[in-house]
Amino acid sequence: MDIHSELKELSKFLSDYSTCLMAVGTHTSRVVRNTSRIAQSFGFFADMTIFQKTIIMTLRDKDNSHSYSTVNKIKPMALNFEINSRLSSLSWEAYDEHLSLEQLRSQYNEIVSKPRINKWIVLLLVACANASFCRLFSGDWQAMCTVFVATLVGFFIRQKMMEKHINHLFVFIASSFFASMIASLATIYHFGNTPQIALGTSVLFLIPGVPLINGVLDIIEGHALAGVSRLINAALLIICLAIGLSLTLLLIGVNAL
Amino acid sequence: MMNSDFITAIIFDCFFAAVASIGFAVISNPPRKAILVSAFLAAVGHGFRYFLLKGTSLDISSASFIAAFIIGMLSILFAKKIHCPAEVFSFPSLLPMIPGMYAYKTVLASVKFIQCEDYPSSINIIVDIFRNGTTTVFVLFALVVGVSVPMFIFHNQTFSVTRILKFVNKDRRILDKPRVEIEQIDER
Repeated sequence: MDIHSELKELSKFLSDYSTCLMAVGTHTSRVVRNTSRIAQSFGFFADMTIFQKTIIMTLRDKDNSHSYSTVNKIKPMALNFEINSRLSSLSWEAYDEHLSLEQLRSQYNEIVSKPRINKWIVLLLVACANASFCRLFSGDWQAMCTVFVATLVGFFIRQKMMEKHINHLFVFIASSFFASMIASLATIYHFGNTPQIALGTSVLFLIPGVPLINGVLDIIEGHALAGVSRLINAALLIICLAIGLSLTLLLIGVNAL
Repeated sequence: MMNSDFITAIIFDCFFAAVASIGFAVISNPPRKAILVSAFLAAVGHGFRYFLLKGTSLDISSASFIAAFIIGMLSILFAKKIHCPAEVFSFPSLLPMIPGMYAYKTVLASVKFIQCEDYPSSINIIVDIFRNGTTTVFVLFALVVGVSVPMFIFHNQTFSVTRILKFVNKDRRILDKPRVEIEQIDER
């Protein structure tokens, strides 16, 4: 195989690899390091520019006489730490054991196609989590029950709407509205002593914690552009969450709270 | 100060923080073995913050910073043990410490401010918005910075925890040569 087609095949793989890592919520410097590590194991160098929606990458050989550039879109994917962790291991494996491109491809496909945790289990665990979150803010057991039900409904709505590929900002407004609406029933019917805490906690399962932390990490590590765009996206989601909650507050009347 | 009531309260706090962390972790589909670690880290972190808040005179942002720092340190330790990137379990274990009630009170006060037509009482509402809003932002930043400081202290370890060495290749210079040559060297 001549050097150009070798560069071409490897670039195709690396651009898939890096966009996938970026989409599942890995912070930027890990994406850069993993990708250049694989390139290094083939004796090449990879330089990349990362934006929120695309990755531009040039793969070159050691004396800069041959190079190949790719631009690839970052497809929207749900957060997935298992892919993050296993693809990072794959890059070390490539570095230490000099895996061939076919081996890398087949392992990559296997990792990416692994099914997620059953969504009903996720739904139940998220509801339990939000209920115990309510307890951490010193809510009583009535408030915990309210939050449990509100989260079940809100997260179910979110899962259903995400499956139908409705705009994710609208999904956030809708699910925070319905979750807080159910929790506000506790306020209206004076269920328990801490209905306010139930109302406040019912929407917290929507907080985009991982993009927030990743954004700050990116900025500290010098990938300011990627970090700021992550933070802007997270802020948009939080604003939508607040819009849904405010709708509920306006409907039930704030002066009662 | 350290009577049995206080200790029971801390244990309950740890338990609920662990449950909360498991639930928020599964949203991001972590590796199975990382879920229990994140529950443990959340219990330690949140329990410690509870102790700092009730047992000492620290405010919530500094207490969150210290708790997040401890989570970050422990997560690097565990990352080396089970070969996972540290953020896989340190991020979910931070989530129970997110200042949700302050955020809620900020939104509530903002909605009140929109609807309020009385000038003197709207000044009180502005104080509410500012106080709760700044607390939310400060705690969030304390959490993020606290958890990432250990990552910078142990910078190289952070990126090599997923490495599982099957054999040690001391001659790293081999890697600078193209692949074809590497295979030839191996045959010799």
